[in-house]
Amino acid sequence: MPTFLNNIDLIPASTFSYEELTEAYNHTRVDYIVPMPMNAARLQEYVQTYDVDMEASVVAVDGNEILGLGMLGIRDRRAWITRLGVIRRKRRRGTGWTLVTHLIEQARKKNTTRIVIEVIKDNSPAHNLFIQKGFKETRELLVLRRPPGESKIEMPPAEVKRLSYTEAVQLLDRRQAVPSWVDEKESLINAGNLSAFQATLADGSHGWLVFQNTVFQLGRLVLQTEAGNPLDVARALLYHLHQTHPVQDTKTENLPGDDPHWPAFKEMGYLTMFRRIEMVLDLKEEP
Amino acid sequence: MRRILEARQHQVLHASEGETGLKIAVEEVPDLILVDLGLPDIDGQTLVTFIRRVPELADIPIVAVTAWPEDTAREMAEAYGCNGFISKPINTRAFPDQIAAYINKA
Repeated sequence: MPTFLNNIDLIPASTFSYEELTEAYNHTRVDYIVPMPMNAARLQEYVQTYDVDMEASVVAVDGNEILGLGMLGIRDRRAWITRLGVIRRKRRRGTGWTLVTHLIEQARKKNTTRIVIEVIKDNSPAHNLFIQKGFKETRELLVLRRPPGESKIEMPPAEVKRLSYTEAVQLLDRRQAVPSWVDEKESLINAGNLSAFQATLADGSHGWLVFQNTVFQLGRLVLQTEAGNPLDVARALLYHLHQTHPVQDTKTENLPGDDPHWPAFKEMGYLTMFRRIEMVLDLKEEP
Repeated sequence: MRRILEARQHQVLHASEGETGLKIAVEEVPDLILVDLGLPDIDGQTLVTFIRRVPELADIPIVAVTAWPEDTAREMAEAYGCNGFISKPINTRAFPDQIAAYINKA
């Protein structure tokens, strides 16, 4: 348990404007390894995409001063803590602990059975806080970038077909890997602009790739091998993606570190920006 | 940053978001573009991608400014066609000379 040195009042995030929340959020992140600042429009889009419950999300204040904030996304019986942060000069005084305790309580009130949180690898203070609150590590997730440009390696011979938005959404039901919160089917549908390719290789290996296609970026890649060699399926699909969209930058989040397609991403020029640790609190196991 | 550069007689055009920065760059065609890789609207790498697509800006040196670990910063800056990177927090003494070197190389 931390020492509580701030007078902390908790106020629902819904009572603040997006401009106020954005300013507070950006202040909590200025010294992060990966600051990821937002503007109000982006925060609002984030709230919608990830089903953040603004009544359950919370801002910690001391009088008129914002100390930190934390948000809670809820889907069915699943919850997700996100955008959690405390302003630098107000840290080590129990604010983070108070925010997380409150968000867990809110998740419990909403009848959720598990809470997921993702912490940037090497953010030891946050990681330790979550361990103390009972979260357990589940896996490591990679955040990847690829600059524009055609693929520099040859792909295995394959027949590749472009699929419609409806088909792309249907494919997501056939995903075998457990998606992280950011690339759950609901998140991808909310984010929009989905497209897909399906590839069949000469040896019968086959699979598909669902991705988001916007003017700025390609992103939110979900790759599934349905039969055969996952590396060759990934090579064929990623090759085709970047041959078809050579001018777009690509960003994809939360590829599991042990994903069998990961070596093909590396071959295609994807770079690791940073790693996250996914942690889960099972509320069913709590007393 | 702005104060340091203005003290060295540089004219600084500042934008706090990527979209505005791109607009200013297209209109003014500066000698050097400093891009913070963590921007609130579009991220820095995407902005660099856009700048490199504008013919008038294609040869303008771009320097990434970032708090990322040095290895990641270097890798991203090279991959996205930046001419270099400067780590945050900036070294206020070295910063003017770093900037002058990028401008003189151009």
